Order: sequence, then structure tokens, then C-alpha cells
Amino acid sequence: MNCPTCGADHISPPGRGRATLAFGKSCPYQGVPYTGLRAGHDQIYFGRWRRMDATSIDLRRGYHQLERLLRDIAVALETEDIPAARLDLGKAFEALHASGPGEEDPQVLRNLDHALSYAHRVIGDLLHEKGLPPHSPADFAEWFDAGEVPFREDW
Amino acid sequence: MIPLDRYPKEITLRDDARVILRPMLPEDTDALWSFLRQLPEIDKSHFHEDVDRREVVERWATSLNYDAVLPILAIRGDRVVGTVTLYRNRTGWKQRVGIVRILISPDHRHLGLGTAMIREVRHLGEKVALNYLLAEVIEEQQSAVRALERMGFEKAGVYRNFVNDREGHLHNLVVLLHPMSGLEK
Repeated sequence: MNCPTCGADHISPPGRGRATLAFGKSCPYQGVPYTGLRAGHDQIYFGRWRRMDATSIDLRRGYHQLERLLRDIAVALETEDIPAARLDLGKAFEALHASGPGEEDPQVLRNLDHALSYAHRVIGDLLHEKGLPPHSPADFAEWFDAGEVPFREDW
Repeated sequence: MIPLDRYPKEITLRDDARVILRPMLPEDTDALWSFLRQLPEIDKSHFHEDVDRREVVERWATSLNYDAVLPILAIRGDRVVGTVTLYRNRTGWKQRVGIVRILISPDHRHLGLGTAMIREVRHLGEKVALNYLLAEVIEEQQSAVRALERMGFEKAGVYRNFVNDREGHLHNLVVLLHPMSGLEK
């Protein structure tokens, strides 16, 4: 079930969730800037399509989720003057549309990965314009059914 | 003219520290000199002059020309904790190429400041219609190389034993390019 606050399908305590939050708060993205974009990004980032046992349905779902995320980012960018981010968003769409949603070639995975990386960079640009640190999915990993958290390094 | 109306700009680092980004001013001499002196030797290798000498930094401060060299300082309290400098040629065959140099204080690394500085210089590069940003990094500075790559810079080449540090030791030089949107128009 999708979270009513951020729209993502993250784990919500109590019950199956491992993570806990302060009393009365059920969404880790609650109150953070660009809630929907960050949650949307992480839902894809930790999505089933990246697993070894992903099915074609998972892949197709990931594709459509990413397409929605890019559209949402485009809307957020409309009111911002960040040309570098516009360039990256264009590259994200280009990478995504390099494959169709129904294709099962390994290149599809790479294209989705590239598109998601560009999307992450644009979200970072939006946050930077507001003077905020970049979004780090690792900070929200325990809210997703993620087997492992990719190595994080920032400069 | 480079549009500088976005400064001063406050950003928050991963440790919640607030840092102000703004162009260097003549009165920044001492803070910048202190910053440069505490950098590891390898970070100072690319300078043509001995930046441990105050008069060198003083001369920079009194000859500021943002159209040719735009140094953006990251200031925490009264301390400079990082710089990003955009070098441009106004004429000639490299007038659409901006050269980028980023320096981060050792105690402010891995907090997202370097990445924020790269975002700044990408923004500035777009605003002055550059075709490329070019960054040169000694290969040992892997965190910087990875951060630049994550932000869209691509390795254009690695020159083996190409540059020497101030003690004469040779290092590999990594050249990274960032294509800008002007290229696509």
C-alpha cells in the first residue's frame, strides 16, 4: 500500500517494518523538501527491478515509475532557473526512452540505471538551490525492503 | 558578465553546518591564506606560485577580475573551508571552455561541500554559455575524481607521470570534461 504522505510504497511500522519514527509520524519523508520526488526516487532505487530475481513485470513497473518521476521533476523544474538540471533531465528522458517498457534486454537495466542517476542529480540540484544537502537514499534504506545499501561516499 | 546575483548563498552540509558561498573579495586575503596553508601539499601542487606566501594571496585579492578568474569561497563562520575557481579566456580558441579548480579543507571533506561546489560551477558555466568545463585532478585524489564523475564530468584522459608536486615527485594527471547544454544547441 502506498504511503498517503509521500506516495511511495515504503515499509510502515508497526507490523512488518523494522524502522521506527517519533510517535505520530509514519512516513520518513514527512516534512522534507521535495517529499514526493525523494520518495519516488527511492522507491525506484530500492525497487524490485534491480534484484537478481526481477521479473519482466518488475522491470515494466520500474520503467513506468521512473517515467512518472521524471515528469514530476520536470514540473518542479519549471519554476527554477537551473540550466544544468534541465540538461540532466533531458539526458534522463533520453536514457529512459532508449528502451521500451516491455523490452527485456540487459541494456534496458543499464538505461534505467542511467536515467535514475540523472534524476538523482537533478533532485540534488533542486535541493542545492534551496541551500540543502543532496538527497541520500541510504538515509531511507531501512524503510524499504532493500537487501543491501550501496556504498555511499560524498566529497 | 557573470551573473552573481545568487550570492551570498547559504548551504547546509551533511553535518548540518551552515556555509556561505560567495565570490572572493579583497578583504578575504587572510582567511584565504590560512585556508591554503593548511591544505595538504598535494592539493597545492597545481599552483604556479608559492601560496604559503601571504603576498601571493594578497596580490590575487587586489587584482580580482571575475570575468577571467572567478573564485567562489565557502565560508563557515570567519573561516574559508573551500574554494571553487572558474578560469575563462575571453578570446581565442578556448573561450567556451572553463577550467575548474576545487579545493576543500581536509576537515570539511565527505560532507557534501565538494559536490555543492561542483553544482555551483556547473550553474555558472551554463550561465556564461560555456561548452565545456575542464577539471584536472591528480589521480591520487580519487574522492574528487568520483565526485566530478557523479556530477557529469567524464574522464577525457589520464596522463602518466605528467605533473610533479612541489617536491619533484611525478603523478598521473586525470583530465575530466563536462559537456554543457550549449553544445547541444
